[in-house]
Amino acid sequence: MSGSIVLVLRIAMAIALYSFLGWALYLLWRDINKQGNAIANRRVPNIGITIQPASGAQAERHFSQPEIIMGRDPGCDIPIKGDDTISTRHAQLSYHHGQWWVQDLASTNGTFLNQTMINMPTVITSGDEIKCGNAKLLVNISVDVFVSPTIKLEKDNQ
Amino acid sequence: MTDNMQTRLLRWAALFLLIYSTILTLSPAVRERTWDVDYKFQHWLGYLAWLACTYIIHKASARYLQDRDPFLFPAAAFLTGWGLLTIWRLDENFGFKQGIWLVISTLIILLLIRLHRYLPIIRRYKYILLASGLVLTALTVVFGTNPQGIGPRLWLGCCGVYFQPSEPLKLLLVIYLAAYLADRPIIRLNSLPLLVPTILLTGLALLLLFVQRDLGTASIFILIYTTILFISTEKKRVLFASGLALLAALLVGYFFIGVINVRINAWLNPWADPSGNSYQIVQSILAVASGGFIGRGPGMGNPTLVPVAISDFIFAAIAEETGLIGTLGLLATIWVILSRGMMTALKAPDRFRRFLAAGIVSYLGIQSLLIIGGNIRVMPLTGVTLPFVSYGGSSLLTSFVAITILLIISVPEDNEPAALSNYKPYSTLTGMLALGLFACAFSAGWWALYRGPDLLSRTDNARRAIADRYVPRGNLLDRNNKPFVVTEGESGSYERVYLYPELAPILGYTHPIFGQAGLEATLDDYLRGIKGNPSSLIWWDHLLYGTPPPGLDVRLSIDFGLQTKADQLLGGHTGALILMNAETGEILAMASHPTYDPNKLDEEGDALSSNEAAPLLNRATQGLYPIGTSLLPLIRAQYKEETLSDNQLKKLYSSLMLYRAPQLNIPISQADLNTSPKDLRISPLQALLAASTLSNHGIIPAPRISMAVDTPEQGWVVLPAEGQPNEVLQARAADEAAVAFIVQDKPYWSHTGQASANELIITWLIAGTVQDWGGTPLVLVVTLEEDNTFLAESIRDQLLGSITK
Repeated sequence: MSGSIVLVLRIAMAIALYSFLGWALYLLWRDINKQGNAIANRRVPNIGITIQPASGAQAERHFSQPEIIMGRDPGCDIPIKGDDTISTRHAQLSYHHGQWWVQDLASTNGTFLNQTMINMPTVITSGDEIKCGNAKLLVNISVDVFVSPTIKLEKDNQ
Repeated sequence: MTDNMQTRLLRWAALFLLIYSTILTLSPAVRERTWDVDYKFQHWLGYLAWLACTYIIHKASARYLQDRDPFLFPAAAFLTGWGLLTIWRLDENFGFKQGIWLVISTLIILLLIRLHRYLPIIRRYKYILLASGLVLTALTVVFGTNPQGIGPRLWLGCCGVYFQPSEPLKLLLVIYLAAYLADRPIIRLNSLPLLVPTILLTGLALLLLFVQRDLGTASIFILIYTTILFISTEKKRVLFASGLALLAALLVGYFFIGVINVRINAWLNPWADPSGNSYQIVQSILAVASGGFIGRGPGMGNPTLVPVAISDFIFAAIAEETGLIGTLGLLATIWVILSRGMMTALKAPDRFRRFLAAGIVSYLGIQSLLIIGGNIRVMPLTGVTLPFVSYGGSSLLTSFVAITILLIISVPEDNEPAALSNYKPYSTLTGMLALGLFACAFSAGWWALYRGPDLLSRTDNARRAIADRYVPRGNLLDRNNKPFVVTEGESGSYERVYLYPELAPILGYTHPIFGQAGLEATLDDYLRGIKGNPSSLIWWDHLLYGTPPPGLDVRLSIDFGLQTKADQLLGGHTGALILMNAETGEILAMASHPTYDPNKLDEEGDALSSNEAAPLLNRATQGLYPIGTSLLPLIRAQYKEETLSDNQLKKLYSSLMLYRAPQLNIPISQADLNTSPKDLRISPLQALLAASTLSNHGIIPAPRISMAVDTPEQGWVVLPAEGQPNEVLQARAADEAAVAFIVQDKPYWSHTGQASANELIITWLIAGTVQDWGGTPLVLVVTLEEDNTFLAESIRDQLLGSITK
């Protein structure tokens, strides 16, 4: 009799043990989801770029995604048409470690930051001038305007 | 969010430990199979202490360490509680002490959590920290003691409080190495001078440990140094070099250092010396095997049979009581700590904290693998503790500080993880730890499920003898159900009582130290209840209690009255006697003198086995004597002449089955089959069977000594004879030979013969009833280790005479 009662308890104990582990696994899975979501939705300070092509009108655009590519290719985030001094994918602006960085993407004519040619990712701040070929980009980072890119992603999905 | 996750995990851990404690309280009732027992309550103190300490740390971490890793602390607390209750179950004294250490460790943790902001600062004091650890360890060389009084003197302390400095030294080494390597730019292997200080200090620590013969900790040091160097240099070469160095050290140790030689031999071939050098490992494996899949249940196994179960072999104790289910859970919990620790390292905001976290993970992982692997023969045994689980204040405190450092590092800071040029070393290291845990899990399953059933029937498995105290063993009865051997007492203190000690050489004994002999050994399966009972009952009892069901009574063919008479007649003379029903083969009396009293085996056991008179030997079936002239009537029956050639003799002896061991389930001796017939030695049983032909029309019956077993379902079930009857002589020739040797005015024939062996005269007597006698055909053999025909004949007349009157 005592044996049967204790057997039930022993089975309950095994269930508790594996519930502990099961919960740990479940929470780990949830944690991965959460991390993924957080990284995907990482908040990026809004960056404004004033584009001055060699020929044509000046335009200002605002971005909230963590990666911006400029180049001749129409698929780029900042496409500049009809300028042969600009490579297909010329330069990249990216946000990480709490900073915006500019990086040359092995372009033919190079990327210049405030007249200095860059050959490694470099931090940029408001007022910097980036020169790609004959085009100029003026950087304007608004510190206090955060835009959650979630909204944009959802729009993209539609 | 983090707090919520941590709370839920801790709740499951608390529930597990609650059920564990409840089972432990009830366990005496299950062991003794009655509700009227002393229940265990003391360990609830441990449970409450665990609950309080865990709650306090949980609250403090929620307050001071927001967004810390939510898995690390619950997993560590779970292991600590499991260990604490296991220690309490093994030894209440040590359980109480461990409880106190848990409280002390908790207080220190609370202080650390409150001071968590200062963690980066300890980087500056790396030399002071390591130096103080080294000094403390060095002090053990001079002032070291051992709490148990014997063994390596690795502890410092007095007045009952002991501390092992080599435990915190591991953590201090990790801190020092992490700080030193983080302060340097990425280290290249060819910039050796940069590494000199670390090599010097680690070498110094190793030297101290070698002097102290703390080789387990020394190997952990080498492995910790290797992993941290591997992580900081990102070169696999470090691993290979260190692997080679360890192997070389192992080889040198194997040939020149006694301890290492013993440990490696015990690992390579534990079965060679199971009661000596590999006693620990064999007992540990037996404990794992005894646990099987579901385990015996807390408090219901016998893990105390393994030496130092509270510290070095606590994994075996857990395996026995919670089974493979428990050990896999334990390994998975360790994996949670290691993987989350490595995650913490990757997310760490600077190199120092990253190296520190990775170093702590490797320290916890390597030490767990070394001792678990040592317990289940994955690698040679190293006497280190299982972090969080094993008994030991210094070990618990160090593990707690280590996990707290991990917790503090896991608190995310504003800045992102430090730059990482190559994540490979971390994934390699994590993979190796995972592989190690998997090897341990596989090995635990191997011993518990695949090899388990075989191992448990080993004679050095004391669990069988312990089960005998809790489960009644079957009785041995005479042919009229008069008891020879019974089990007396009640559950927990059953004792075997031999009511008729003179029969000891035949019935044998069952004893926790001396093992089993005689019919107690050959009928063990029935007497122990693992044969004859329905298999579902055997399975159920094993599941519930870890023991076989109550044993079954066995009825023997021996007649109490005739046996008493035979023993009286043989008296103080050395020799043997068997009386058998010549037709059915039922042995009615079997005596072997001198005899002994199996009730006094505790006191006399050792003397008995070295006694020159060999009272343990059953001379009737194991004594081998030269034949001499004893079988003359049989020669007559076959050849009508008395001097035979070797070939004729050999043919006769073969047909009388003297060249074959009789089939009877009792220990039997058999002479070498290649001996010439003149040198052949036979047992009295063989002579008896040959002689039975004259009283049974030339047929040798199949001898029987166990008649029936009392099964719960069908009552008495007859046990069939082991062999078959054999017609070896022509019936008429046999009858005529019997008549030729008839004793005057008696219904039986008889022949006395003599043989000499080692200047000792052996007197043989064979006798049996003749056909004219209408009663049960009987046959008798008497073998005396002295020249005493008169005695042999007087035994014959009194024994056969009393029956045939």
